[in-house]
Amino acid sequence: MKKSIMLGALAVAGLTAASASASTLDDVKARGKLNCGVLSGLTGFSQPDANGVWEGFDVAVCRAVAAAVLGDSTAVEFVPLTTQVRFTALASGEIDILARNTTWTFSRDTDLKLDFIGVNYYDGQGFMVPKSLGVTSAKDLDGATVCIQTGTTTELNLADFFRANNISYEPIPIETNAEAQQQYLAGACDVYTTDASGLAATRATFEAPGDHVILPEIISKEPLGPVVRHGDNEWGDIAMWTLNALIAAEELGVTSANVEELSAAATTNPEINRLLGTEGDLGAMIGLDAQWAVRAIAAGGNYGELFEKNIGVNTPIGLARGLNAQWTEGGLIYAPPFR
Amino acid sequence: MSELAIERQIDRSHMTISDEVAIQINNMNKWYGQFHVLRDINLTVQRGERIVICGPSGSGKSTLIRCINRLEEHQSGDIIVDGTELTSDLKNIDKIRSEVGMCFQHFNLFPHLTILENCTLAPIWVRKVPRKEAEDIAMHYLEKVKIPDQAHKYPGMLSGGQQQRVAIARSLCMKPRIMLFDEPTSALDPEMIKEVLDTMIELAEEGMTMLCVTHEMGFAQAVANRVIFMDQGQIIEQNEPHAFFNDPQSDRTKLFLSQILGH
Amino acid sequence: MTTLTDTPKQGFRLSQLIYDTRYRSITIQVIATVLIVAALWWLARNTVANLTALGKDFTLEFLGNRSGYDINQRLIAYDSNATHGRAALVGILNTLLVAGLGCVLATILGVIFGVLRLSKNWIVSRLAAVYVEGFRNVPLLLWIIAIFAVMTESTPSPRDFRGENPVASMALADNVAITNRGAYIPEPLFANGLGDVEIKPGGVFADLYFNVSIDLIVILLTLVVSLLVVKLVNTRAADIQNATGVRPTTWWVNLLIIVAPIAALLWGLGFYLGKPELSGFNFSGGTHLRNSLLALWLALSLYTGAFIAEIVRGGINAVSKGQTEAAFALGLRPNRTMRLVILPQALRVIIPPLISQFLNLTKNSSLAIAIGYMDVRSTLGGITVNQTGRELEGILLVGLFYLLLSLAISTGMNWFNDRVKLKER
Ligand SMILES: Nc1ncnc2c1ncn2[C@@H]1O[C@H](COP(=O)(O)OP(=O)(O)O)[C@@H](O)[C@H]1O
Ligand SMILES: N[C@@H](CCC(=O)N[C@@H](CS)C(=O)NCC(=O)O)C(=O)O
Ligand SMILES: [Mg+2]
Repeated sequence: MKKSIMLGALAVAGLTAASASASTLDDVKARGKLNCGVLSGLTGFSQPDANGVWEGFDVAVCRAVAAAVLGDSTAVEFVPLTTQVRFTALASGEIDILARNTTWTFSRDTDLKLDFIGVNYYDGQGFMVPKSLGVTSAKDLDGATVCIQTGTTTELNLADFFRANNISYEPIPIETNAEAQQQYLAGACDVYTTDASGLAATRATFEAPGDHVILPEIISKEPLGPVVRHGDNEWGDIAMWTLNALIAAEELGVTSANVEELSAAATTNPEINRLLGTEGDLGAMIGLDAQWAVRAIAAGGNYGELFEKNIGVNTPIGLARGLNAQWTEGGLIYAPPFR
Repeated sequence: MSELAIERQIDRSHMTISDEVAIQINNMNKWYGQFHVLRDINLTVQRGERIVICGPSGSGKSTLIRCINRLEEHQSGDIIVDGTELTSDLKNIDKIRSEVGMCFQHFNLFPHLTILENCTLAPIWVRKVPRKEAEDIAMHYLEKVKIPDQAHKYPGMLSGGQQQRVAIARSLCMKPRIMLFDEPTSALDPEMIKEVLDTMIELAEEGMTMLCVTHEMGFAQAVANRVIFMDQGQIIEQNEPHAFFNDPQSDRTKLFLSQILGH
Repeated sequence: MTTLTDTPKQGFRLSQLIYDTRYRSITIQVIATVLIVAALWWLARNTVANLTALGKDFTLEFLGNRSGYDINQRLIAYDSNATHGRAALVGILNTLLVAGLGCVLATILGVIFGVLRLSKNWIVSRLAAVYVEGFRNVPLLLWIIAIFAVMTESTPSPRDFRGENPVASMALADNVAITNRGAYIPEPLFANGLGDVEIKPGGVFADLYFNVSIDLIVILLTLVVSLLVVKLVNTRAADIQNATGVRPTTWWVNLLIIVAPIAALLWGLGFYLGKPELSGFNFSGGTHLRNSLLALWLALSLYTGAFIAEIVRGGINAVSKGQTEAAFALGLRPNRTMRLVILPQALRVIIPPLISQFLNLTKNSSLAIAIGYMDVRSTLGGITVNQTGRELEGILLVGLFYLLLSLAISTGMNWFNDRVKLKER
């Protein structure tokens, strides 16, 4: 299912006046469902399983938020969106949160009137080519035909990279990852470029993943994170701290397996107690009850569990933690203190 | 005897029938798919003859005269017009069509052309007559059918009777030696029938060979030298008008005449 | 007080506004106007309210900012350092290109299949019917995607042309390469070319700069002059026909008049064809007709052609059989009958619906994004809108462009229609 830009523009042109200004938290509670914008299908990040149940690393963020706010991690309406329409869908109020491999950039955060509530995956743009081409560096790609998805940071980085290296290319603009994959496999383009995590996820679905290499160059910073509308700070706080709760839980050793037990009574670690609501009243400060974080963690596990289950080294996608390790392990994943 | 009394005296001085054969039809048959429309037609038309063809609707009158200029194709037998046999040879068809004029029940004037252009189109493109000369010829015939003043109007602006007279003039501009008429007055109001018949009578007076499908029995009486009765694709009976009307031989002819003359 | 007027004064009752034919239409018009104005006002107010609620304003400034993205098919100079306005212009030209090519091919297909469908030959008319029904009754988007998919999947990749025993080879004496990235055909080049003129408007139009090849201008001028001479020859031929009745044969004179000067000119300019050659990842040299252009062009033409075929068939059928028979009876041959009698009448019926088909085709070309053809909807209304977040402005501009283009097309076609009509009445 694709949403057209036209629809979004119409929504802005206001058949429903100023829907975006109401309190998102109240809307979600009244609706009893969280509307979450996701990718239409990228293995490991967001994809419906055989039963049509959405799963993946991005999907998990929405489930955690729904668990925290509504007490039910399945009370989520997933809205598949293309790169082209994702921001319009958010701005027009069609979705409450966008968890869709979206890069945090200055102009998106400010000019597009969005708020990034954190980073759930530190990524960078890479290139994938068929091994048979014998290419070993992105700088050897002079004259190549490159498949890209339109409306992404990818297409801007690509233009800059080739310009800076004074080499030429032929862009083939494509709307979805699935089409890009098909064009790439048919040889209509020599190279597929997107976020390295997306490349890994895409390659994992190939019949012969080994026939394709991801080139060493990472040409950009792509901090990917969930996004909400600018202006509703209460809602932004809820989303931000739900993500942080998952991250802090990993750091504090709270897992989906032990969260019940740890939250039954106060532990010796005050931060765990504050996080799980056995001490203090953090939940009330964001308009939720004391158990909000317990439910968020119980929904799918802490950050580390979600990573390993969906995209980690033991999955077909096989991503190492790398930059996405906890700060204590030399990575960039870092939750501010819960106090 | 007919709705239409021919008032004026008809000048028969040119209405001579020569020995020369204008149209010769031998054992001609035609089918529309399984349907046998024309059966064993034999007909000889001398130059200068004026033949009226009548018969019930659907009897094949139109089909017969349309075969003569190959608007319809016959399947067996021969049709020889002015010594040229009608075959699928394009040259023969062209030759015959430029010698045989035809007027239709619904006039079929070209609505996008003026009266004058209607009359000059074929002379210019078929006979290769210079435009000026073609226009002179056209004006001559338009005067003859008494509507020269309408030359620069479009067909849609004329009455039915005027349109049919233009159609006659348009055919005459090709200087045909034979004229075919297919119910030329059937689509006209009574007061206009007369003006068209007058034109046709004048044509007869000049000695034109004419084959005319019509139910105007007054016209047949006054002008025709032979009346042909057709039924179910066959020529049932033919005779000179007086005998045809007063002493019909076949029952079908009698029945037809009684219906149309309203006895 | 009584006045001096003699007209009888009638009492005016309110119910007259509805039941009296004199007032009724005025009443209806007033009500309609009020409703429309109210609706527009409401929409505008909501838009402004929503934009402020989102913290957004309405501005076209983004058109002057650096676009930052590349476009593959460019009819004018463009790169990622150019502005969004320039990117929009590249898209507009691409739209015009595919719409123009589409209208021409659709008309050709429509006329051919419209006439074929009237053919007495059963097989031929059936085939034409299959074409018409097949294309008319399946959504255009499916055809675009299907044709594009066939072109990509059934053709070799440029890398298949490489190596000792290449899987694929070039066609037409190594002049044309058909690949899954499009067709590479020879491009016209000039050894003694005259260069380009730069056209550089200033101010707000600074983005409208472009280069025009002098060679092209000279060739076009020569062609125009040749055509004028041909016209002269034809007028003379008509005069001769009017005077003597015989039209002199002019086709070979005309052919000579058109071909000889162009040939001489091309020779002078050192015309040659630059062949496409495999180099690196792709073919270089030659002209690259991308699959996205070819597929969109074909799909739009085949689809619209099916509708035009029906219009042509209807137009010809609308001219009664009696017209053909009258022309035949006068001795006119079928082709002359078609040209002098049937077509002038059929055109009158054909042209108005043809205009709407051209408009449909033009607007339908905005489906381009489905296969990555960079038309104005994909550049301005797609990437630019997405990168700048100016969806309202962008979509309004794109809408305005299609509106103006449609008005231009229908004005042009109506003018042509009037000319055809004038001759008839
Ligand atoms: N094109 C045609 N196809 C099939 N049948 C036809 C066609 N034209 C005429 N007919 C049939 O042939 C018969 C003779 O028609 P026609 O010559 O027009 O009769 P008439 O002129 O005596 O009224 C009629 O039964 C008519 O239905
Ligand atoms: N992170 C970049 C690129 C995002 C991106 O291109 N993601 C791909 C997958 S990695 C995608 O969205 N595909 C669209 C789809 O498959 O629908 C951005 O935010 O612009
Ligand atoms: Mg008849």
